Amino acid sequence: MLGFLRTQGEHPRIAQIRLLTLFATLSSRELRIVDGLLHDRRYLKDEVVFDQGEQGQALYVVLSGRILICRQGDPVTGRIAEIPAGALFGELALLDGAPRVAQARAAEDSMLAALSRADFTRLVETHGAIASKIALQLARDLGRKLVAVNAAMEKGPAAVNTGIEKGPL
Amino acid sequence: MNDDATRAGPALWLLTIAITTLLLIAATKALWLVVPFLVAIILYYILLPMVHRLIAWGMRRQVAAAVVAGGATLLAIGILVPLLPWVASQSVASGQTVFRYLEGGRALIDRMLLAIESQFEFLARIGLHDQMSKKAAEFGDEFLQKQLIQIVNGAVAWLPSLLLAPFIAFFALRDGRVFLKRLIDGVPNAFFERTIYMFDRVDATARNYFQGLLTLTAVDSLFLTIGLWIIGVPNALLLGVLAAVFEWVPVVGTVVGCVMVVLVAAAEFPSDPWIVYAVIGVFIVNRMLDNFLFIPMTIGRSIRMHPLPTVLMVFIGGAVAGITGLVLALPLAGVVSAIVGAIAGIVRDPRLRARNAYARALQVRRVTADFSE
Repeated sequence: MLGFLRTQGEHPRIAQIRLLTLFATLSSRELRIVDGLLHDRRYLKDEVVFDQGEQGQALYVVLSGRILICRQGDPVTGRIAEIPAGALFGELALLDGAPRVAQARAAEDSMLAALSRADFTRLVETHGAIASKIALQLARDLGRKLVAVNAAMEKGPAAVNTGIEKGPL
Repeated sequence: MNDDATRAGPALWLLTIAITTLLLIAATKALWLVVPFLVAIILYYILLPMVHRLIAWGMRRQVAAAVVAGGATLLAIGILVPLLPWVASQSVASGQTVFRYLEGGRALIDRMLLAIESQFEFLARIGLHDQMSKKAAEFGDEFLQKQLIQIVNGAVAWLPSLLLAPFIAFFALRDGRVFLKRLIDGVPNAFFERTIYMFDRVDATARNYFQGLLTLTAVDSLFLTIGLWIIGVPNALLLGVLAAVFEWVPVVGTVVGCVMVVLVAAAEFPSDPWIVYAVIGVFIVNRMLDNFLFIPMTIGRSIRMHPLPTVLMVFIGGAVAGITGLVLALPLAGVVSAIVGAIAGIVRDPRLRARNAYARALQVRRVTADFSE
């Protein structure tokens, strides 16, 4: 009924966020709604995204570049994982507002899209179907990470970092 | 970080109170803008869920905002236009009606004072009835001649500016989100998460307060209307709704609403004082239900401030900005408290400031990389 009011064609930005794992199952209309909630942030190489122990307020999706997850202030020996373009990190903040469990810093110049916990909560209230799809993708992502950690643990503690790194983040 | 505002100590309370007081003083100087802005905020929070619904059905935000704002305007016109003849006839008779109710109130006070004097002879000797009657007559005349005319003139002067409210609400519905995003885009990365938290607190405070206030008004309207209808007060619905709207003014709102209905009851039933007592009883029960049940369930949790600065703020608001101050003190203090708490959180966090300095140094190093020593 409202078809004549809908947009024609797909905006390049919508095509860009469609490629992200978190939003892969959303329709164009749903992507447009989510795009209105995303905050694009540009980080220079070595810049800190968040610190370990900080109260998390947002989840991040890497649009371009790479993000290093490491123990606080120890990016060389405390390396935990590396988040490539298309993947997400900081999702625990979205789920329960827990303190960040590690530090995140840009491994190279990066562009991130942030989805705040407040916006996600509102999305649950106003657009339940979209929030459900995102939550399902989040659950899948966490499951994949868990499988990767388990596989690495079976190979021994030394392989854990490498395992997560190579896991489908 | 989540509870910067609630964990704020006396220094932040004082800062919040000082900033809120200054804003309230400024508000009294620009009521022509503050009143439509306030109405626009209330409209915004009423209409926002409908905009979200239309967006979910596939409409673009701009179109959805136009449809909802246009629909609301047409609805308001559809309701108000048929009422205009009635309002016009009422306004002609309103002067006489107000005079009749004030006379009813004066007669009620007369009877009460005479009854008291008959019980306590010393009061009769000092002429309590005569003195109080004279004061009541002076107040009634002054109220009719000056204050009522001032109130009516003030309301008429505000009417054109109230037309701004639907426009402000429409643009807030259409572009509010984009404006907020642009604002947050300008914040350095180090402060980004604190900033989104702060804006969320500000939005939640305003939304919960105004939506809670509307719910409270509806509940109070229903309770007072039913109570007054059972007692037999005429125009129970109109009086119930008006008294519930007066409740927007903390502390004095209940008293003003109660006095208004008492005057009506005294004028309509001059020989039956029990109706007046019953009216007062209804207002007392409503106030108690508000305090212990309705307010905690509606606006109670919207203002995340300690009760002490909250109460102080209401009194200071009333002192510096009158009725405007009483109405605006709580929501404004809640918003200011959220902002002050977030900024204090940043200022007090050396790590965040160091991260920002480091990011700026990285930027400088990047843009000066080709400079020779």
